[in-house]
Amino acid sequence: MDLANGDAMLLEVKNLNAGYGFLQILRDVSLTVDTGEYVCLVGPNGAGKSTTLKTIAGLVAPMSGEILFKGEPIDGLPGNQVARKGIAFVSEEMNLFVNMTVQENLAMGAYTIRDKKLQKDRLEFVYDLFPRLDERRSQLAGTMSGGERKMLAIGRGLMSNPTLLLVDEPSFGLAPLLTESVFQSLDTLIKRGVTIMLVEQNVTKTLAVTDRGYVLENGRIELSGKSSDLACDAHVRKVFLGV
Amino acid sequence: MVEQVEKRIWERIFKWGGSAGGIAVILTVVVAAMATLDRGPYVLVNTVVIGGMLALVSMGLALVFGVMNIPMFAHGEYFMIGTLTAYYVFTPINTYITANPDSVLAVLGPLITIVAAIIAGAIMGVASEVFVFSQLRKRSRENWVMNSFLLTVGLSVVLINAHQLFFGADFKGITRYWAGPPYSVMDVFISRDRAMSFILAVIVVVVFWFFMTYTRTGRAIRAVSQDENGALMVGIGIKGILMLTMSLSCALAAIAGASLLFMYPSYPAVGLEPLYMAWFVVILAGLGNVLGAVMGAFMVALLKVLTVEYIGSGWDFVVPSALIIVVLIFKPSGIFGSEVRGVLDK
Repeated sequence: MDLANGDAMLLEVKNLNAGYGFLQILRDVSLTVDTGEYVCLVGPNGAGKSTTLKTIAGLVAPMSGEILFKGEPIDGLPGNQVARKGIAFVSEEMNLFVNMTVQENLAMGAYTIRDKKLQKDRLEFVYDLFPRLDERRSQLAGTMSGGERKMLAIGRGLMSNPTLLLVDEPSFGLAPLLTESVFQSLDTLIKRGVTIMLVEQNVTKTLAVTDRGYVLENGRIELSGKSSDLACDAHVRKVFLGV
Repeated sequence: MVEQVEKRIWERIFKWGGSAGGIAVILTVVVAAMATLDRGPYVLVNTVVIGGMLALVSMGLALVFGVMNIPMFAHGEYFMIGTLTAYYVFTPINTYITANPDSVLAVLGPLITIVAAIIAGAIMGVASEVFVFSQLRKRSRENWVMNSFLLTVGLSVVLINAHQLFFGADFKGITRYWAGPPYSVMDVFISRDRAMSFILAVIVVVVFWFFMTYTRTGRAIRAVSQDENGALMVGIGIKGILMLTMSLSCALAAIAGASLLFMYPSYPAVGLEPLYMAWFVVILAGLGNVLGAVMGAFMVALLKVLTVEYIGSGWDFVVPSALIIVVLIFKPSGIFGSEVRGVLDK
């Protein structure tokens, strides 16, 4: 199986249509993410960036189209089964378990891992990445600051040892300094071999750090290419940067 | 170092004592102590026995509300199923025990009865989830709290009438589970059945608490109650958890029903009183707060016992209801706060 899919992309989205009820948001979205890549999805408010991630993560059911992960179709699977296949989703609203401690939240992140030793390794990995969480092990998630919650959400996503990490708006509602540290931790993850698909409002910053990008407008992919090229593109500069 | 730790512990105790929950618990203990001195220890004994069983019913109610957002008004019927199962299982056992008083069944019989009730309750819970609630969930999640509430009321009517249709409306009771003279504690005679039902309640509450706090599945149940999408994202199968929650909470009610069969003989509407009492508890403690429900159960039990003792037995619903109104006006989230926030806003 692996050999047959040896040259397949890690994630392939083909002509995806999705939305909520009768409201269609995504129209024929196609994109790919290769192993080890740092890909971003940018676009104005309401373009469908979050919906794209939610559909891949199995929280929104697609109307039509295909989503292949490691060559296997995952469209229409419920979120828990998508998570078991190795896709971790860090949502914009984080969806933390607010009445559980930091440690318990992270333990829940490793819910799909039965191996005790691997669980421990993952916990050490996360505490190593976010020493701040280590200091707050026994604090309730609901009583933490916005930046710490973001770290916890990313940490919880990493506990399952995912192949692909989908991150939605990590800088949303954070002070500039904290945004910087969240971006740095994503950088560290890329260096350690995690594949990341990032959705961000902060277009300049995002295009500066990622390898490749897609521009989503009104539910359609308008542009795609290397992040450095996109940053110079006249259309992108006009729409997002106002120059 | 030790002093610092000691200081912190004291600070926490003071902080807790100042919160609404702390004040309520301290007040309960003081009132219970005063009433015991005034009228005798049996007040305390009654409170503890009623409170223990009420805790089981209320915990299930709080669990179903916290995890599934269902305001369950058919919960008393699972209590009724517990009493019914216990009656039909224990009656033949009892006949045998009466004929052979020395057989092991004299000890094992009541335990077998309780286990049978647990199984019956759990099966009914799964059936309700599969045939009623999951059907509604599949079709519409709009107005979930209201719609599921109406469904539970309907379910309650159906189960009560099914009991009447198939088993008749007469009282089906037993005289006792455990033969032998009553125990004497603090100069009060406690019948063996009462003592056993209290011990059973304590065991079940402790096991349940341990399960919810330390096991993988228990944590998953709590995770679903706190954030359903978050639970999905970490790979928890929601459907299985909902079914398990329902069967657990129904089994808890059935245990209470079965072990109180000597006090509440089985008849179609036997579940209504425990249901209302459990709702008093859950509203008092805070909707969806499972551990708060245990504390609340003893408070409501004390209130009920004191009302009967000082005002008259006809008032035992009036006083708790009045208290609920006061609580809802001044502290709508319940005295222990609520673990679930904004469930009704969803």
